[in-house]
Amino acid sequence: MKPVLQIKNLRKDIGKKTIIHDLSLDVFAGEVFGFLGPNGAGKTTTIRMIVGLMGITSGEVLINGISIKKDFAKAIQHVGAIVENPEMYKFLTGYQNLLHYARMVKGVTKERINEVVELVGLEKRIHDKVKTYSLGMRQRLGLAQALLHKPSLLILDEPTNGLDPAGIREIRDYLRKLAKQEGLAVIVSSHLLSEMEMMCDRFAIIQHGRLVGIESVQDLVNSSQKVLLNVNPVEEAVSIIRQIYSNALRQVTKQGIEISVEREQIPAINAALVSKGVKVYGIQTVAKSLEERFLEMTGGNEIA
Amino acid sequence: MPSFISLIQNENMKIYRRMSTWVMIGLLALATIAGALMIKGTHKEEATGDWKKQIIAENQTLKAQLSEGNMPKAYNKQLEKQLRINEYRLEHELKPIASNSFWGFVVESSNLIEFITLFTIVIAAGSVANEFSWGTIKLLLIRPASRSKILLSKYAATILFAVCMLLFLLISSFIVSAVVFGVENVRDPYLAYQDGRVVETSMILHVLSVYGLNSVNLVMMVTFAFMISTVFRNSSFAIGLAIFLMFTGSQITMLLAAKFEWAKYSLFANTNLMQYIDGIPPVEGMTMSFSIMMLLVYFAAFNSLTWLIFKKRDIAA
Ligand SMILES: Nc1ncnc2c1ncn2[C@@H]1O[C@H](COP(=O)(O)OP(=O)(O)O)[C@@H](O)[C@H]1O
Ligand SMILES: [Mg+2]
Repeated sequence: MKPVLQIKNLRKDIGKKTIIHDLSLDVFAGEVFGFLGPNGAGKTTTIRMIVGLMGITSGEVLINGISIKKDFAKAIQHVGAIVENPEMYKFLTGYQNLLHYARMVKGVTKERINEVVELVGLEKRIHDKVKTYSLGMRQRLGLAQALLHKPSLLILDEPTNGLDPAGIREIRDYLRKLAKQEGLAVIVSSHLLSEMEMMCDRFAIIQHGRLVGIESVQDLVNSSQKVLLNVNPVEEAVSIIRQIYSNALRQVTKQGIEISVEREQIPAINAALVSKGVKVYGIQTVAKSLEERFLEMTGGNEIA
Repeated sequence: MPSFISLIQNENMKIYRRMSTWVMIGLLALATIAGALMIKGTHKEEATGDWKKQIIAENQTLKAQLSEGNMPKAYNKQLEKQLRINEYRLEHELKPIASNSFWGFVVESSNLIEFITLFTIVIAAGSVANEFSWGTIKLLLIRPASRSKILLSKYAATILFAVCMLLFLLISSFIVSAVVFGVENVRDPYLAYQDGRVVETSMILHVLSVYGLNSVNLVMMVTFAFMISTVFRNSSFAIGLAIFLMFTGSQITMLLAAKFEWAKYSLFANTNLMQYIDGIPPVEGMTMSFSIMMLLVYFAAFNSLTWLIFKKRDIAA
């Protein structure tokens, strides 16, 4: 599958400072991809280069294979975005704002505007001035303008900023729907790991303008889990586990035996214990939190 | 790629959906009406006097001044012209056009073009700078329209605003003048002085040329404000600087022109093209075509700087 967004060796210098160092990644249709990093890591700067608001010092951004630098108009028509806050013309109504952006692309009809208004649930207030909108409504209007022209890449910079938990959940469900049902490639940025975990399929960790790593949320959750075994007799169980997974054993406590294995290994261990006559009273998986993994990976600080 | 017309539609929406724009239009209408009433109030006596006696008296003074001959050449030319026109009036029984007459007020109200210049400076200064201060520039520039096209649409909408305001002033001054002063002298000709001869032309043509020549200054100041607002992304600074220069620029130039010949290359020595019709250019030897050349150079310089900066800038707002 061809990626919707390709970033190749992207670099940004402002003055003598390098803000983004050699960033490369691909984002595919149907996935929600995260940019995770503390404030000042370079998420917004990267997004600004992707959408052509900032010049690219070196490297390349391709959208559906089209270079944003060389063929801006052609590349950008596949992109819908909110960069930082969804700032709209406050003295215009929501509808007039959408009309404004609709006029800037070919082929967005009045019907399409109404469709998008319905999609984001703003029908009741769309003819009110934007200055009367709450932050949540502005986010919705921002989303509406980004979706007007049916983009294949949707970019939202800190979309959950200032939203309450219910609002965050709504955005999350909506973005996942767009990715899974409409096949959009969605990029969201955040400085909160918990949001990445909730919203994304994969995310890139950015620190000091460098790509630290790209993680799949699924893999992270699956890989090496902490498992607590409540068994009797304990000594025999320990020797059996030593035999099959010598590295798995962590410690023996009053609660039971603590082991660290991948998810797929748990049934095998259970079967081995049972077949040797050990009584298994309980297997409790204590999923190693993403947070822990994350701290391991980034050196354990910096993330707010 | 969007059509240029839809981009202008967008800019128009952003201009005319704002209260402040309508306040400016209202102020212009008010100023026209107030001006007419003020002239009506202060010019009561003048109309009753015998215009021929006044002109004869004026001609005697003019002749005396001319015979002294110690004035600059351009100034003498001006006196000469006035004298010839006055003589023509006596000869053909053509009453001079008073301020409190139909044409008199229409011509008088062209002074309000300064207001229009002011208002258009406000629009021009906000056009780009407001998008930055509102933060909307980020959503504006991520559309399949080139930055040049967007910038041009902003400039065009600004000029379009000025044109609408000029038309509005022209039409409202006709209406107000007709209502307040009546249309008695509507058939009077305008007396122009061409190549040493007095010729009768139409008054409406004269009014249009006054508007046209005044608009030159308008366009230059608006283009200047547009440039400053794009370069500094600050509309108040652009408004302040443009208005300050508008009111002091010509004075400073006059002071410089008295001492230095190079003052003729300054913008403000050239913006007032009326000086070649019924005035004196600040530096001797300046001609209309010289000024037009200079204006074109400034115009091109302002616009290319605006365009270069807007096209290249990183949007970090
Ligand atoms: N116009 C600029 N000039 C200089 N430095 C900048 C500019 N914009 C951003 N930076 C710096 O670039 C870094 C990345 O900023 P940003 O992309 O906004 O981070 P994030 O969105 O991840 O919080 C920060 O250290 C910031 O100080
Ligand atoms: Mg940011």
